[in-house]
Amino acid sequence: MYVKDGPARYLSHLDLLRAFERAARRAGLPLAHTQGFNPHPVMAFAAPLPVGVAGEAEFADIELTQPVGPAELAEKLNNNLPEGIRVREARPLPPVYPSLMSLVQKASYTIRAGAERPVGQAEVEAAVGALLSLANIFVERAGKKPLKKTVDIRPGIFALSGRVNGGKVVFWAVLRTASEGNVRVDDLLAALVKYSGLPLVPPFECRRTGLYRDGGEEKELLWT
Amino acid sequence: MQVLEQILPLVQKPARYTGGEWNAVCKEWTKAKVKVAFIFPDVYEVGMSHLGLHILYWLVNQRPDALMERAFAPWPDMEAQMRERGLPLFTLESKRPVAHFDIIAFTLQYEMSYSNVLNALNLAGIPTKTEDRGEDCPLVIAGGPCAFNPEPLADFIDLFVVGEGEEVLGELLDSFVEMKDKGFSRPQILRGMARIDGVYVPSLYRTVQEGGVYRVVPAEEGVPVRVKKRLVRDLDRSPYPQKPVVPSTQAVHDRLMVEVMRGCTRGCRFCQAGFIYRPVREKSPKAVISQAAEMLASTGYDEISLLSLSTTDYTPVGGVVRALFSEHAAKGVGVSLPSLRADKFSIELAREVQRVRRTGLTFAPEAGTQRLRDVINKNVSEEDLLKTAETAFKSGWHAVKLYFMIGLPTETEEDLDGIARLARKVLDVGRRSGVPAGRLKVTVSVSTFVPKPHTPFQWLPQDMPEVVGEKQSYLAARLKEKKIAASFHEASLSLMEAAFSRGDRRLGRVLERAWELGCRLDGWSEHFAPGLWHAAFGEQGLTPEEFACRQYDINGPLPWDHIDSGVSKKFLAAELERSLAGLATGDCRAGECPGCGVCPSLGVEMAIKRGGDYPAAL
Repeated sequence: MYVKDGPARYLSHLDLLRAFERAARRAGLPLAHTQGFNPHPVMAFAAPLPVGVAGEAEFADIELTQPVGPAELAEKLNNNLPEGIRVREARPLPPVYPSLMSLVQKASYTIRAGAERPVGQAEVEAAVGALLSLANIFVERAGKKPLKKTVDIRPGIFALSGRVNGGKVVFWAVLRTASEGNVRVDDLLAALVKYSGLPLVPPFECRRTGLYRDGGEEKELLWT
Repeated sequence: MQVLEQILPLVQKPARYTGGEWNAVCKEWTKAKVKVAFIFPDVYEVGMSHLGLHILYWLVNQRPDALMERAFAPWPDMEAQMRERGLPLFTLESKRPVAHFDIIAFTLQYEMSYSNVLNALNLAGIPTKTEDRGEDCPLVIAGGPCAFNPEPLADFIDLFVVGEGEEVLGELLDSFVEMKDKGFSRPQILRGMARIDGVYVPSLYRTVQEGGVYRVVPAEEGVPVRVKKRLVRDLDRSPYPQKPVVPSTQAVHDRLMVEVMRGCTRGCRFCQAGFIYRPVREKSPKAVISQAAEMLASTGYDEISLLSLSTTDYTPVGGVVRALFSEHAAKGVGVSLPSLRADKFSIELAREVQRVRRTGLTFAPEAGTQRLRDVINKNVSEEDLLKTAETAFKSGWHAVKLYFMIGLPTETEEDLDGIARLARKVLDVGRRSGVPAGRLKVTVSVSTFVPKPHTPFQWLPQDMPEVVGEKQSYLAARLKEKKIAASFHEASLSLMEAAFSRGDRRLGRVLERAWELGCRLDGWSEHFAPGLWHAAFGEQGLTPEEFACRQYDINGPLPWDHIDSGVSKKFLAAELERSLAGLATGDCRAGECPGCGVCPSLGVEMAIKRGGDYPAAL
C-alpha cells in the first residue's frame, strides 16, 4: 500500500510503473522477471490513477525471487522512491493470489473545489441531494471512436456528500471502479459543474483516499 | 508556486514541469556563490536525453560553492498558461525564476532550436539582446556543436564556450566567483572571461565585410583573433555523472548513457561531428565497466546504452559489451548499441546482446552509388551492405531502415536511381532470406544535405529548394513499391537549417523577427512555420537561399574563421579537392595520418584502447 502525492501526482501510470521498477532495482531487491526476449518485472497495480490525482492508499503487488521481510521491503523501497511516492505498508502475498485489478470494485475520493461566491453548508447539501435524486446523470467522455460518448454515471455513484471548508467546497464520494460501469473522478467533477448549480471553479484538487473490494453496502478496503 | 499548481492540471504531460526526479539536486540557495540555470532549448523529454546536460549538472553540483538547476522549453500549451498568468520560466529544482540565477547556460545542439533560446530568455523576463542587459541580468552563455558557428546568435549570447564544456565550465565559474567578489561590473566580467581559452565573447568583436563575406575580427585589444576549441584529453579522468537524474516521465532515450568514446575519424565529409570532435579518444574498458556498474546502481535503469559517434568503432567494443552483458543480464539489464555500422561484426554483436529484439535495424549508406559514397568518404560498399542485410534478415530482423541524403555535391540522376536500386536490392535480399512476406519492410529515409562549417563541404551550396523538391518527387516515384516506405525531410526545414548553419551576424535580426512572429519549436514538424521564417527574412531584405545556397570562395574568408576547431582549413580544402576527384581518405586510426592538424594544433593525441575480452584481459 503506497501514497502517490506531491510532484508524483503528475506521473502517468506508465511513469509510475517505471518509478517502482527503478526504485526496486536501486534498492537491490530480488525482482522476479517474466520469461522471454524482453523480460520485465512481475508487478501489478490496482486501478490506475488519473494524472494529477493524488492517492492516499494505493496498492501494488511485486513478485520477488527470494523472501524479503515486509518492513525491510517497505524501508528499502522508501529509501529509493522519488519524491511523492511512499510505501505505507508491505505484506507478504500468498502463493496464489488474485489480480489486484479484479479485486477493486469501489474507490473513495475527496474533491476540493473553489467557489466563485461564498456558499453555505445548506446550499451544498441541497445541491448534492438534488443531484443524487436524479435517475440518470449523463456526462460526455472523449474517446477515439466515437469521438464523444455519453454515459450515465448515476448507477456508479455509491455515495456523495459535500461540506464547506475555508471558502472551498469539499466533496466526498464513493464511485464504482471496475471494467464495467466505471466512474472516473473527472466524470463526477463534470457532473458537479454541470448539474449541481454550485458556483464551482478550478483548481479542483482530487485525492483518492481508498480502494475497496465489493462489500455490498459496506466498503471493505483491499487490505483489511 | 501556487500558480504552477493551478496550471499543471491544465496542460499536457505535466510531469515535464514538476521536477522531483530521482537524483535531482536541490542545493541550499544561499550557500552557493554562483548559481547556474541550465536551459535545454527543447522539451524535457529531448533535453533529458542529452548526455552533456547530465555531465555538466554533475560537475557543477559537485562544487561546494556552486549549484546548477534545469529548465526546458515549455510546450505551447504551457507557454500560453505561463504568459497568461505571468509565471516566468522557472527551474525544476527550486522552482525559482531563471532570472534569479547568476548564469544561464544553453546548449546548442541544433540550429532549429535557436528560436527556443530567444523564447526562453523572453519567458524568463531577460532582454533577448546582449546590449540591452543590465548589471542585474544573469550572464547568458552557450556551448555545443552550434557554437562552432556562433554568429547567428552573436546578438543574444553574452559568451560562447567553444569545444567540450566540461573542460571550460569550472574555470568560468572560478573566474566568475573571483570577479564577483571583487565587485566587477558585467562588462569587466565578460572581458575577464574572454581571456579564458575556448571562450568567445561576441560583443568584443565586430564584423568586417570582405567580398560579401561578413568575417569577424576583434573590436579591442586583448581578445584572441581566433578562439581555439577546448577538449578533454583523457576520457577516463573526465567527469561523468555518477548519479544521473532519472527522468520522471519517459525521455526520448530513457536508458543509462555510458559514453565510451569521443570523436570519430572515419572522415565522412558532410559530417560536422566527425571534424569538430577530433581526435578520437576512447575510454578504457575498465572505466566503462566500472562506471556502468556505478550508474546502474544509482539509477535503477534496465538498459545500458554505449554512447559515442560510432560505437562499433570503439576498439574494445566486443569485450566490453560481453562483460557488461555477463555482469548484468541476470538482473534483467540489457545492453544496446545506438549506432550500428553496416557490417557483419555489428550485427552479430547486436544479436548476441540486444535484449530487446527491436523489429528494425538502421543503416546509413547515405548515397546511392559507390562513386558518390567515395565523394563523401562514406566507406560502405554495396556488397557489405547487402551482406549485412542478409545476416540481419537471417538473424530474425524483418525490417531495415536505410538513411540517404540527397543534394550531395556532384549528385546526378544516376545517384538518385542508385538509392532506389539499393532499396530494392535490400528488399530482394529480405525475400531470399526467408523473411515472411507479411512482415518484410524496407524504410527509406531521405534527408537533404546541409553544408556545415568546419567540414570539407563548408564552402559548397545547398541545392536550391526547387531542385530539392524535384529530386524528392523523382525519387518518390522510383520508390513506389509495396514493401518500401519512403519518407523525405521537409525541404524548407533543411533550407532554414542550412541558412543558420553557415550564416553570419546579419541573421540575428532575422531570428529575432521570426521569434516575434511566433516561431517556436521548429524542430517539431507540427510547429515549424516556414511562412513565418520566409517573412522574417523578407522583412530584413534577405533570403534564406542567399545563405543556404551560397558558394563561398575556397581562398576567401568565412564567417566562422575566428573559431578554431583544430582541424586546419588547408586540410579541409584538400579534402574537398580529393572529394571532387572521387578519392577516399582513410581513417587515421588505421595508422596513416591524413594530416588534419588537430593533434599538433591542440597538443593532443589520439587515444585508442586495446581490444580483446574483458574482464579477463583487464
